[in-house]
Amino acid sequence: MIEFRDVVLSYGDHVVLDRLSFRINFYERVAILGGSGEGKTTILKLILGLIRPDEGRIIIDGQDITVMSESELRDVRMKFSIVFQEGALFDSLSVRDNVAFCLREYSGLSEEEIEERVRALIRRLGIEDAIDLMPEELSGGMQRRVAIARSLAAGRPKTMLYDEPTTGLDPLTSDNICAMIKELSSGEPPDRMGLIIVTHKVSDAAKVADRFMYLKNGKITFDGDMKSLKETTDPELRAFINELFTIEGRC
Amino acid sequence: MNLKEGIKKVQDFYILSVKAPIGIFQRPVYIRDIIEQMDYAGAGSLFIVLLVSLFIGMALSLQVSAELGALGLRMYTGRIVGISIIREIGPVAIALSFAGRVGSGMASELGSMMLGHQVDILRVYGISPIKKLVTPRVISSIVMLPILTIIGDAVSLFGGYYIVAFVSHQSGSFYWSQIRDIMIFENIFAGIAKPFIFGYLISCISCYMGLSTSGGARGLRRSTTSAVVLSTIMIILSDFVLTRILLYLLGMRV
Ligand SMILES: Nc1ncnc2c1ncn2[C@@H]1O[C@H](COP(=O)(O)OP(=O)(O)O)[C@@H](O)[C@H]1O
Ligand SMILES: [Mg+2]
Repeated sequence: MIEFRDVVLSYGDHVVLDRLSFRINFYERVAILGGSGEGKTTILKLILGLIRPDEGRIIIDGQDITVMSESELRDVRMKFSIVFQEGALFDSLSVRDNVAFCLREYSGLSEEEIEERVRALIRRLGIEDAIDLMPEELSGGMQRRVAIARSLAAGRPKTMLYDEPTTGLDPLTSDNICAMIKELSSGEPPDRMGLIIVTHKVSDAAKVADRFMYLKNGKITFDGDMKSLKETTDPELRAFINELFTIEGRC
Repeated sequence: MNLKEGIKKVQDFYILSVKAPIGIFQRPVYIRDIIEQMDYAGAGSLFIVLLVSLFIGMALSLQVSAELGALGLRMYTGRIVGISIIREIGPVAIALSFAGRVGSGMASELGSMMLGHQVDILRVYGISPIKKLVTPRVISSIVMLPILTIIGDAVSLFGGYYIVAFVSHQSGSFYWSQIRDIMIFENIFAGIAKPFIFGYLISCISCYMGLSTSGGARGLRRSTTSAVVLSTIMIILSDFVLTRILLYLLGMRV
């Protein structure tokens, strides 16, 4: 269980999160929707303990992570994996070395075993052709795939965190990435790998998630499933999810 | 910036500058990163160091030779040039070039890794950014800057020799015999101790600035500029302090 209790976070006078509270089970498929600059990335960083809130508690699996040291946080972070907005690949390493990064760091496997695992992952994500390329030679969609492969190499997380995985991609590639994300988190709870996706692209979120939250002015103003999202009466949220209705016919 | 943030920054810098060098004694040691950094900081800086040193040596020698000539002491050019280069000008000039080339490079590289979330990824994977990124840079700087300084000093002395022998038409062998006379422990120790400390300061300041980058391209500009400006100031200030301390330690009267 991931729980935020009255989390407050501000940069200077700018209050980003204002007494934010929610609970998410590890196996859930949640989309956090919100405009840019609303603090979506910030929430993911808080879950991982990369930044600390000014006030409030963040409780992961019953443990308060806001008081943990960097070394205690290691075990908490093992429960998750994250794909950052632009992929955050190590730009001095090839695709193969990026995916192998964690295995080299601490798996203690031999080079052959690492190569085998890397190849398996790369095949699973359909990026075999790119294995010897450098990150700057990849398209946006490829970069996300490599980032997903790299985060899966570390082991099977309980919950995958995706930071705008489809932003800046063409519709076809977006579809592809969404299908991939969906497939990775298929299966029945509580065994399946959960996901938290933060995005402003409502239609992409609709493809992978079954619980939706809307973040506005540092608070969650909506929390519910697709049905209730479409029936919302909040005019602003209706405007935000407008695209769901316009593409209705196509789906 | 309020007081609390200021204290936090000093604390972060202190932690970084203490942990980074200690990192070399704790497993895992990132040998490959250290070698890559040494190549970048050392071999990559050789050209600028050679160029800067050669011309500083020649200019200094011209100046000193002209001034001593007016006093009728031109043959002592070597002694003055040698001492100035080895103890003062060599270490400082090369450290300044190093700050401009390597310090700015470290700050901008780590800064863009911060902005691109690559540093966050390291932490998510349980890898300490200080050990993985800062330690190799600090180690390579404190090893490479003294070596570059020794090479640069030698080139400067050759530049001085060229001026003395072929422009001022003095005895080249007397120049070298004066240089040999000043190659005593005190001078060499002072000349090596300085770049060792400058290398430590430049790398810690630049890495700290890089890792505290936020706010996009403007933030990157700010941290790169601060890295070079702060390094420059610290080199000049600490050079003065070090000169005082070394003269005192080595028992020389001012
Ligand atoms: N290091 C920082 N310093 C100052 N402001 C920041 C910093 N990081 C984020 N912010 C601000 O916090 C807000 C939320 O950022 P973020 O979580 O990245 O938004 P989102 O991912 O929803 O676009 C933004 O307004 C941003 O300007
Ligand atoms: Mg974001």
